Amino acid sequence: MAMKRLLKICKVAFQSINKNRTRSLLTMLGIIIGVGAVIMTISAGEGATMHVQNQISGLGTNLLMIQTKTEHKAGINVRMGRPIDKKDLEILQKNAVWMPNISPLLAIGAQAIGPNGYKSTMVYGVSYDYFYISSRELQSGSFFTDEDVKTAKKYCVIGETIREELFPGTDPIGRQIRIDKVPFTVVGLLTEEGSGGMQDMDDIILAPYTTIQNRLYGHRRGYTMIMASALSEDHILDAKTETIELLRESHKIKEADDDDFEIMTQIELQEITGNITGILTILMGAIASVSLIVGGIGIMNIMLVSVTERTREIGTRLAIGARESDILTQFLIEAVVLSLAGGVIGVVLGIAGNQMIYEATGFFIPTALYSILIGFGFSALVGVAFGYFPARKAAKLNPIDALRYE
Amino acid sequence: MMTSKKVIETNKLSRVFKNGEIKVNALTDIDMVIYEGDFVAIMGASGSGKSTLLHIIGCLDRPTSGEYKLDNVQVNNLDKNQLADIRNQKIGFIFQSYNLLSRTTALENVELPLIYNRTGQFSNSKELAKKALDQVGLSDRIYHRTNELSGGQQQRVAIARAIVNNPTLILADEPTGNLDSKSSFDIADLFVQLNDQGKTIVMITHEAEIAQFAKRKIFLRDGRILSDKTIEKRSTRELALKALEKPAGPQNEWP
Repeated sequence: MAMKRLLKICKVAFQSINKNRTRSLLTMLGIIIGVGAVIMTISAGEGATMHVQNQISGLGTNLLMIQTKTEHKAGINVRMGRPIDKKDLEILQKNAVWMPNISPLLAIGAQAIGPNGYKSTMVYGVSYDYFYISSRELQSGSFFTDEDVKTAKKYCVIGETIREELFPGTDPIGRQIRIDKVPFTVVGLLTEEGSGGMQDMDDIILAPYTTIQNRLYGHRRGYTMIMASALSEDHILDAKTETIELLRESHKIKEADDDDFEIMTQIELQEITGNITGILTILMGAIASVSLIVGGIGIMNIMLVSVTERTREIGTRLAIGARESDILTQFLIEAVVLSLAGGVIGVVLGIAGNQMIYEATGFFIPTALYSILIGFGFSALVGVAFGYFPARKAAKLNPIDALRYE
Repeated sequence: MMTSKKVIETNKLSRVFKNGEIKVNALTDIDMVIYEGDFVAIMGASGSGKSTLLHIIGCLDRPTSGEYKLDNVQVNNLDKNQLADIRNQKIGFIFQSYNLLSRTTALENVELPLIYNRTGQFSNSKELAKKALDQVGLSDRIYHRTNELSGGQQQRVAIARAIVNNPTLILADEPTGNLDSKSSFDIADLFVQLNDQGKTIVMITHEAEIAQFAKRKIFLRDGRILSDKTIEKRSTRELALKALEKPAGPQNEWP
């Protein structure tokens, strides 16, 4: 009996949704926009996070970077300790157990000039170990060797972007380029890494660090940093501890004093970028909340506007013998059905929107499950609340007052 | 003639509206008995309390004091749900402004009281609704939506909705108030037909020529019964239409 009643009331609710198609669609539209916007904005934030993290782990997850400690003073970075230099490199190379590959890195910005073009780029002076550490590969030619580094040969390995600028359409291997007027022979061409978001991984020139130091580095002391790779990702902390011990001893740092160098590992890098992308996600969330509120106000509006008409309808239903509970059941069903339908359409549109962005820009956005839950949950809540509570107020009215409601 | 059972019996029925400090005595000490098969017109100026009386009789409102028995059931102490069930099973309501569901077919409107019925005796609600529409002469308008019907037709749908549950009592609140004279007489004539089939009808009107269709006429003034008379010369559709052509004569029966 009760089941049959519920079915009848269900029928009434669906009839009511169907008869008032414009109102139903407008209510749903608010929910659709809310859910869709939340899914798209949150997913975009998540997508950006994932993108950056992929790039970092692409560097090699067992990477260590050893740098002189810098402090931010009056707007400029000031080196605080003695620079990381040849002595540090030799101590590490001689004593390190957990780090099989160690390379100095000297970074300079320079102008590279080829036969058919020129480009401002970053030139890195590295040792042969760097190719193991960075796990970069060649599409043609070869790396410079340990011997080339020892004898400070003017060899270099270039990235794809440099090739396009300096040797459009030709093979660069064996050709000469000038880096800040110093002639170098191109011995290798790196495999394309793709433009990794903010930094072009192919806009790069690698040369023996000895050559860079002798010819281009000027009078600067020490290295930009020492790069090393731990035996494996599991030993990255061992490698770090070991480096700290060796360098403290070498730098003669007293027990109570702080390190005058900094070691960044993949873990710390990921934390930093995690912070940045976390802020990004929060920002996206803020935008999403605004769209949710806008959607919510839309739902609210249409529900409240229809209250006059609905109150008289409720009065009529009460007058011909509907109980308060009958009315409430009907309105609850209406609100739930509209919210669910709107929510589902919103989810579909949100996912389709992400797909469209992917097709238009190539930026893949994975749809975050929790964005669906948040969007859906909030919109359904607003939809049901604003569908149900005005109706509850009306159903509690005296039937005469409901009938006369203006 | 009036040996049949009492449908309505009131005893010192009063209704006071409180609006802040101001108290308004809408009804005072109404004693009234209406028997099965009667057709009563309640008349009075606006503010005389006739609508309030109809609302109390129709279980839409409760008296402040006094007793009210509907079909031998003491109504004034029942709770909200019990009142809703009584409205559903024993009363058919007809309003001045029809109060039909918009954008809904005549059939669906008429079916509505049966949907809310809890006795389970109306399983064939569609058949009953069709029958009721047939009774009010709208069998060819079953699937028309309310907005596709004229005022008179809409009121007929409302009447069909009022009779579909075979109620003990039909209540009409200014049923012809929004209609032109001819449609008004048609509706009044329909009431007479329903009454002839044994329905008890209480109708509020301020139109004397409509009241003249009834068997009995009660006048209210300031919340009290001023007069309660049996109508000697009942009007019919034909008489009323003929009277329309003549200027209003002295035959107007004011008390």
